[in-house]
Amino acid sequence: MTKTFRIGRRAALAGGVAALASPAVVRAQADPIKLATLTPLTGAGGPYGPVMAKAAASVVEEVNKAGGVNGRRVVLVSEDDQTNPEAGVRAARKLIDVDKVSAIMGTWASSVTTAVAPLCWESKTFLCTVSGADSITLLPHQGYLVRTQPNSKLQVMRVGEFMLSLGVKKVFTMIPQTPFTQSTFDTLNAVLPKGGATHQSLIYDDKKTTYRTEVDQALRASPDLLLAGGYTPDSVVLLKDLYRAGFKGKVVGFAYSINQKLVDQVGQNEIVEGVYTFAPSSAEGSTAYDKVKAAVGSANPDPYTCQVYDHASMVLMAMAIAKDSSGTAIKDNIRKVTQGGGKTVDNAVDGIKAIAAGEKIDYTGASGPCDFDEKGDILDCKFRYEQIKAGKFTVVKIA
Amino acid sequence: MIDIVVQALVNGLVSGTLLAVPAIGFTAMFAVLRFPNFAVSGIATLGAFAGYLAYGAGLQMAGSLVVAFVVAGAAGLLFDEVAHLPMVKQGALPAAIASIASGLVLENLVRLGFGNDPRGYDRPIARDIRLGDIRVSPQQLETMGLALALMLAVFAILAFTRIGKAMRASADNPDLASLKGIRPERIAMIASFAGMGLVGVGGMLLGLDSAIDPLTGTRILLSIFAAAVLGGLGSVPGAVLGAFLIGMAEELSVLAVGSQYRAAVGFVAILAMLTLRPRGLLGERAY
Repeated sequence: MTKTFRIGRRAALAGGVAALASPAVVRAQADPIKLATLTPLTGAGGPYGPVMAKAAASVVEEVNKAGGVNGRRVVLVSEDDQTNPEAGVRAARKLIDVDKVSAIMGTWASSVTTAVAPLCWESKTFLCTVSGADSITLLPHQGYLVRTQPNSKLQVMRVGEFMLSLGVKKVFTMIPQTPFTQSTFDTLNAVLPKGGATHQSLIYDDKKTTYRTEVDQALRASPDLLLAGGYTPDSVVLLKDLYRAGFKGKVVGFAYSINQKLVDQVGQNEIVEGVYTFAPSSAEGSTAYDKVKAAVGSANPDPYTCQVYDHASMVLMAMAIAKDSSGTAIKDNIRKVTQGGGKTVDNAVDGIKAIAAGEKIDYTGASGPCDFDEKGDILDCKFRYEQIKAGKFTVVKIA
Repeated sequence: MIDIVVQALVNGLVSGTLLAVPAIGFTAMFAVLRFPNFAVSGIATLGAFAGYLAYGAGLQMAGSLVVAFVVAGAAGLLFDEVAHLPMVKQGALPAAIASIASGLVLENLVRLGFGNDPRGYDRPIARDIRLGDIRVSPQQLETMGLALALMLAVFAILAFTRIGKAMRASADNPDLASLKGIRPERIAMIASFAGMGLVGVGGMLLGLDSAIDPLTGTRILLSIFAAAVLGGLGSVPGAVLGAFLIGMAEELSVLAVGSQYRAAVGFVAILAMLTLRPRGLLGERAY
């Protein structure tokens, strides 16, 4: 707790110094607008949080340089959720009660977001998150929440379309019992028939040491593509058993389970040869993505960093269009800057200028188009498809 | 349809053979030490990793199995002496609970040393051989052969050697055995070592075909226990029979009710057995 306070104080102090150093015209204006990042600076998310906070800070800095929002300067407070819901709640309380921020951005772990979200909607503080659990946007958040990470339904929809693009006619899904198993089946049953393919499926027990009978059952349907929906340990066994059974069709799996570790562990390249993987991707090659690269000084910033860059940009533009900096103003206006057509902008400074000039804008960010449905889920984003060739992952496409 | 059922039975026979090895170890320990030693979960994992290291260091399959046996046996003996046997005096339940804790300790020690990532024995994987509609894996046949050889060795030792006879006597009636000059502490130590050694070998055999990670043993714990209960706790032939039945039932359940209910097979078997025939299929005859 002391640690998070110290960071908060330091940030506030830095803000104060910055205020004194600013031109008198800025200093003379009303109180600054306060925003916060609540990212995992320590714990399991530790590798991501600091860069995420840096990306948000770069957006705020640019906007301040260009004169702030609604004539007010913006101060960004950075807190550490320690990848821990308890610490996350303590930090969020401080941000809401002491700092009185209008928005909290960048919560990473689903457990942290789930714990922090009620504090936000009850205090009418806007929350932007990168957490993936489907349940998060189903919380009764009254609109005070958006997330830029695709939920599992969107992911499965896109993989379904990808499978169709491979020209397959019979898809078989083998997946263990997970929170997204049923939604995976439902989504594929809807997507695949539209492209002229059939879909059959089987739930397996991820604790078994062999899947011979399961593979037999799947192969009876003579599929030309098998979607392996498990995690790394069971996917290893499954891929070996598919090879033993002489399966000649295509195999597709999630990049979080079919990864280099799996390839090393299988130890025999022909078993994994040609297997496709897919994962949500940042909008690599977009102008906003290039801005994030420059802002954080990395050649390939991770998706979370791109997402939090978008969070800060969207929130600031929503305030500008509302001419108000409250959480409720952000909630009511965020979709006016992210979707619905208008001048395409890729950063907050340009967006705020366009808004001041009375133009309608449509923000396209570093993580993707940033269009949200009524629950706060993104409607689309880019996905990265790779294929294993001779034991190495090669990019098929980012689309 | 009939071919897939036959195939499932063949698959079940293979996994049942592999399951039989740790089940024998578990039931033999129960026969002598009189408590269910749930540390088999951690010991099976330990044996799998010991064999993995030995195999990676260039040892042949048989040599690696010996390493798995010795390491698992030694660890099993240590935990029994330090943690479980002192508790047996309070009853079987405290000892069983202590053994669950030992299993967790072992699992996490392995995790500390090797991390959570799955590892595979660097063994070339071959396509299956087809006999008509039925396919079998050449490697699984090899593993099955090793398991069968091991089981025959156990039966021969129990039937024909002095130690084997002493173990059976001690399991049958410890007081009478000690009157005949059999030292129960020594028999207990041998049972711990050999029983856990078998469990370690079983962990390695099961890992050979798939992959090993710190949860390898935990995944098979229920099946081992169910096999032993089904055959009659304390009965070595019973454990073998139980293992075959559980192996086949688990594979058939995939066809009948879906793979996600596999864990239920073990529980249902235990429940049905304890309700209808608590002695187990063969009853408690310790050889």
